[in-house]
Amino acid sequence: MKSKYLSIALIATIGLTSCKKELDLKDPQGLDPQAALATDANIKRVLQGGYDALSSSSMYGGNIQMFADLAASDGQLNWVGTFNTYREVWGKSIITTNPIIRDVWGAGYNAINIANNVIANIGKVAAADQARIKGEALFIRGAMHFELVRFFAKDYTDGDPTTNPGIPIMKQPTNASNEITKPSRAKVAEVYAAVIADLIEAESLLPATNGVYATKSAAAAILSRAYLQKADYAGARDAASRAITSATGKSLLPTFMNNFNQAANTAEDIFAIQVSDQDGANNLQLFYSVDIFGARDGDIEVEPTYLSLYEATDVRRSSTNNPGATTSFNTAFYVKYGAYRTTKWRDLYKNVKVIRLAELYLTRAEANFRLGTSIGDTPLNDINRIRNRSSATPFAALTLNDFYDERRRELAFEGFGLHDAKRFKKTIDGLPWNDNKLVFPIPFRELNANASLTQNAGY
Amino acid sequence: MRKIKILLFMGVLCTAQLLWAQTRLVTGKITDEKDGLPIPGATVTVKNTNITTITDANGAFSIQAADNAVLVISYVGYAGVEVNASNASAIRLTQGNNALSEVVVVGYGQTLKRELTSSVTRVKGSEVANTPVANFNQALQGRAAGVFVESNNGKVGEGVKVRIRGQGSINASNAPLYVVDGIPISTGSLSGNALADINFNDVESFEVLKDAAATAIYGSRAANGVVLITTKKGRSGQPKFTVGLQYGSNNPTNKRGFLNAAEYIELLKEAAVNTAKYHYNRAGNWRGYASEQAAITDMTTYVEGRLTRYSGSSDWRKLETNTNWEDLAFQDANVGAVDVSASGGNDRTRYFISGSYNNQDGILFGNNFDRISGRINLDQQLAAKFKIGLNLAVSRTNAKRVAEDNEFFTPMQIVALAPITPVRNSSGAFNNTPTTTYYNPLIETENSEYKSYTYRNIGAAFGQYDFTKNLFLRTEFGIDLSSQNDEEFYGSKALLGNATNGFGRSTWLRNTRYTTNTYANFKKSINDIHSLDATLGFAFEKGTSRTTFTQGEQFPSDDLRSLDNAGKITDGGSSVTENAIESFFGRVNYGFRGKYLLGVTGRYDGSSVFGVNKRYGFFPSVSAGWVISEENFLKNSNTISFLKLRGSYGQLGNSLGFGSYAAQPAYVAGRYSGISVLVPGRLGNSDLTWETSNQFDAGLEFGFFKNRLTAEIDYYDKRSAKGNRGFIFNLPVPFTSGYGSYITNLGEIQNSGVEFSINSTNISGRDFKWSTSFNIAYNKNKVLKIDGDQDTLSFNDGRYMNALIVGQPIGVHYGQKYAGVDAQNGDALYFEQDGKTTTNDYNQAGLFVVGDPNAKYFGGITNNFSYKGIELSVLFQGVFDYDIVNGAGGFMSARADWFDNQTRDQLGRWKTAGQQTNIPEARLNRFGDFASPSVSTQYMEDGSYIRLKNITLAYNLPAKWLSKAKLGSARFYITGINLATFTDYTGWDPEVNTDYRAGNINQGGDFYAAPQIKSVVFGLNIGF
Repeated sequence: MKSKYLSIALIATIGLTSCKKELDLKDPQGLDPQAALATDANIKRVLQGGYDALSSSSMYGGNIQMFADLAASDGQLNWVGTFNTYREVWGKSIITTNPIIRDVWGAGYNAINIANNVIANIGKVAAADQARIKGEALFIRGAMHFELVRFFAKDYTDGDPTTNPGIPIMKQPTNASNEITKPSRAKVAEVYAAVIADLIEAESLLPATNGVYATKSAAAAILSRAYLQKADYAGARDAASRAITSATGKSLLPTFMNNFNQAANTAEDIFAIQVSDQDGANNLQLFYSVDIFGARDGDIEVEPTYLSLYEATDVRRSSTNNPGATTSFNTAFYVKYGAYRTTKWRDLYKNVKVIRLAELYLTRAEANFRLGTSIGDTPLNDINRIRNRSSATPFAALTLNDFYDERRRELAFEGFGLHDAKRFKKTIDGLPWNDNKLVFPIPFRELNANASLTQNAGY
Repeated sequence: MRKIKILLFMGVLCTAQLLWAQTRLVTGKITDEKDGLPIPGATVTVKNTNITTITDANGAFSIQAADNAVLVISYVGYAGVEVNASNASAIRLTQGNNALSEVVVVGYGQTLKRELTSSVTRVKGSEVANTPVANFNQALQGRAAGVFVESNNGKVGEGVKVRIRGQGSINASNAPLYVVDGIPISTGSLSGNALADINFNDVESFEVLKDAAATAIYGSRAANGVVLITTKKGRSGQPKFTVGLQYGSNNPTNKRGFLNAAEYIELLKEAAVNTAKYHYNRAGNWRGYASEQAAITDMTTYVEGRLTRYSGSSDWRKLETNTNWEDLAFQDANVGAVDVSASGGNDRTRYFISGSYNNQDGILFGNNFDRISGRINLDQQLAAKFKIGLNLAVSRTNAKRVAEDNEFFTPMQIVALAPITPVRNSSGAFNNTPTTTYYNPLIETENSEYKSYTYRNIGAAFGQYDFTKNLFLRTEFGIDLSSQNDEEFYGSKALLGNATNGFGRSTWLRNTRYTTNTYANFKKSINDIHSLDATLGFAFEKGTSRTTFTQGEQFPSDDLRSLDNAGKITDGGSSVTENAIESFFGRVNYGFRGKYLLGVTGRYDGSSVFGVNKRYGFFPSVSAGWVISEENFLKNSNTISFLKLRGSYGQLGNSLGFGSYAAQPAYVAGRYSGISVLVPGRLGNSDLTWETSNQFDAGLEFGFFKNRLTAEIDYYDKRSAKGNRGFIFNLPVPFTSGYGSYITNLGEIQNSGVEFSINSTNISGRDFKWSTSFNIAYNKNKVLKIDGDQDTLSFNDGRYMNALIVGQPIGVHYGQKYAGVDAQNGDALYFEQDGKTTTNDYNQAGLFVVGDPNAKYFGGITNNFSYKGIELSVLFQGVFDYDIVNGAGGFMSARADWFDNQTRDQLGRWKTAGQQTNIPEARLNRFGDFASPSVSTQYMEDGSYIRLKNITLAYNLPAKWLSKAKLGSARFYITGINLATFTDYTGWDPEVNTDYRAGNINQGGDFYAAPQIKSVVFGLNIGF
């Protein structure tokens, strides 16, 4: 009989070796948002996460720069790749369900939400660092609202910006489902006002040097872009000039092509996305470069007409017919698979340029020229500084269109095409500068998820 | 381990005990009344107890029973009998279909089919044994009413969708719970399908639990049905050996055909001219051509330049190359299998031991599945009242995989290459871009490999103590271990490796899942009037998944493929995921005079995957049955031999498939500029709770003519519970929040349907026998509510148009309606939202509910014929009324929108004004002047099909030859799988759901998905 009880006891014991608190299983790969935003150290990591969000391939990781140039290709860039989602951008025939357009919207607001979380918890950051941390968050928020409004809404100068729909302005953080809102589109002018306010405050808070992160100069540089896009030339001029002067330790590189295919920031970089084999995305390389450099098959071809923008002596038009994966070359273009390719985005795992000092000289020069002023320096000095470096003949006299052309030469394939074309009221591939097709559609999924939104004209 | 030792030690002590005083060993033999041959494998049960055994090869059995006990004998194809234990020495069975008195396995127990008050479908292992497929679910296809089985594509050993009574979930799993010998198993894997680790030749029976009464005992994981897999057990008697050999070949079910070189060239040249005209006349001529002719000249030059480039070393003008790339996606594929088993035992010890080797080439190049498995099932009666047992299976599965359907380097994407391109260049290497239009996937055959190694160990030990013949206590401890290692290498010529001198990745997964079940069962009959069967128990389960991976680049040689050779390790990581469930469960079945049956079950579950306050849930069910044929007015009917009405209602949960930590909001690690950062990961939801559904079932079971004809019909209605316990769903939220979705269970969904099955012994002569079994199911799925605010969630991405719409089935196709071709200019036309006006602007097209990816009807019909030793079994399986969208239509049937080779229907394209056709004018989208062809009803087709799923012709050597050779049995057979498919679907195969996006909403999508596998195998089974 003893064995009977023993065996029963045994069975029961095996069954009972369990339970008790066994259901409290925390995710080892996830940190509760409250903890993530509880301490100085964590909030700083969240802020750095904001740069990770900026570096998304849908954002500064390459797509928005590529889209601005593809859309404004004006017969000078060819999309020959197989992805029809990209071809739609190039051909101005974007469908509202296009996922790469959808993801620009998503990436922008993802970064904005991170910035808002940092700003909302800024009081927990060590007092000595609060200004810098908040300044960086405002830089991210301002830059993202700006990028989104200039792609997804009519240009500031097209009609009445106080009535044209812009994009939702997000200033509250979301960390829980009950914090989700369904915001409507603010007016274009309201979005620009918010962008400018964020960037002015960011500029005032940020330090002059800050590693690879946002600086006073970077905030002023994006601010100058926003002013320029809304045709506030005095604002653009002053912001660009401040960006130049506050760019501690920064200078134009003597050799133009040394700006590119760099794994570390150069002396000319005001802000760049850091890319390595460990992290960061560089979609410009993926699509502009070719397979021998680890890219796709050369989806974007440069037409010879683009090269004709330059003089023969201009190093920015130099080209080689014999590019090799192993032979080094530093010409601005190379010919592969029967077409010109830009060398700017040739190599794998190299930084993506967001702001170079050269842009600021061109912006200051243009704004001074338009206003007839010489704040910082004369327009001729500023623009020739850029040309001289590349052995282009210096201008003796200037017309307004010289600035457009010079920006196309200097800043080619760096994401200025569409925005500059709108500023200079250019016809793009047969479309007027303010054509509805030059504004991205509000993503189909976003319209579904948020009934407060309205679609852009033409979609 | 220590516990097992103690158990064994205890067992030795227990043997000293006296045997049951009241019982004795009853022995007997069961034979066929007609020919007097022994019937092996018949079930002998002591009535109203759990004591059961099975007859051996000679029809003999021995069982512990009291002198006055009644033995219930059952065997498929024969009428069951009940005999007194004292008269058991020679029992004769008469033929007749008697599935009704079969023993059916249910959750934590077993019962007689005739006493069931729930809906359970049984498929015997012998019906599917030796089917040359990797996954048992593929073998079950078409055999069980209401069980929908669909392989994603024709890759061997990969994803199979199984749905029991429709789909009730959006983001949780819709797959059933799989339970092997009482132990729920895990289905997680890095790649491939974890269920393919199971050698189903070891399986005695599959029981599919369908209604709430059957599944509620599995509580929180029961909502999608439960598949109970019972493996073979040893039978007392002489050792019995079986050997099975099988060999054959695999081929694709279909090749759809693409343009040949001449057709391709003509199409592209035509497209060049059309594009030039379109650009010049209709797109504003922004390229600035001087004249239409100048545009045509330029476009033609451009296209001819491309044709020259794509021709490589050959001359397209002379049609020197005409490559059929589609053929090259496939390989010569062989199938081979060896199975051996030994079983036997005595009244104390019984064993079943098996070993198996199965090697199947996939039809796609580089695809292979190779499994070695072994099993030991052991039962030991330690003492009269105490027995223990062990079921242990080990397997090693090696697979060579191919990439998912949306990868450029997956074999099927080879069809996009131009037929004018030679496979190899003049130096003998595979042509690649820029000579090929896309990456040439054949490079993978020489330069890459993707191997997966899985070790799986599913084991369960049990101990059972019989207090009395009516009451036992049983405990089971199960463990499911799997270790999977995926090794990928892409060489210096491969798409993923060319930029970095090779790319390699090594990924490991270790899944551990342990389960303890402890339950007591009480079974008693009082004066043959009242019968009671009650089970009460508790269970605990815990699963842990650990993954780790490393990846590297820069390999010195394409022959040095392990990561040790990588010059640069670029990434690595590891993670842990755990979940646990604790449960209490019970069931009471009561029967009155075997006529009125009542069942109550319940399970109380706590699960770690929900928030602290919402962790526990209770899942009850009630059921009742009325065996009308036991009533006096039917009892003596010659026609109706069995008639039972039953009904059940219960509440079921679902806690699987949406991640272990989804309810927990989290920031997760990211990386930027060489440091680790924190980024928002998921919103979580502190209110997330059980996805609960209520299921009603009514069934009627018939038996006619001594049960030679049996039928079963069930109606069910399963719908989400109200009150925020509905389906678990990642509800899309505005991106402006920074998030894409959050997990919630606000939504409600309904599945209702009818299942019908019939089994008939048509002819049962002495030599010739013919039986038929037929099943068909109808299911209607309807989303009742999403979040209360939104009634349409469209996920239209230009390729597919699956949506979630209130009032419509899950994943309904919702999108642009194609209006054909403008006969005047060849433009594709779409309907605007008014449904009447047509537009050539895709963005102006309206959105409509246009199709349903869920099959409304499906079923199968099996006919078995036998004449003397010859058997023929024919299974047709069909799926009806569902719609497939070809997401690749915009590439492969795109009127030369780009240089992809095109499907043959494009030959019917519009060419001249006034022409009536459904294929628009060919235009190469060189300038992006128009939207490329995107999803619409143009790329949607009905998928309905009927398939000759399995046809087997077998010959059994006659007994007189066998006895000379001293063999028990010898059977030669030839089996064909998927030999013929009848469908109007013009793609490769209508059984498809492209693997890269397959999900609950994402259904009915085709995207370069491989056709299913057609097999022919020869086999031999010997028993001795």
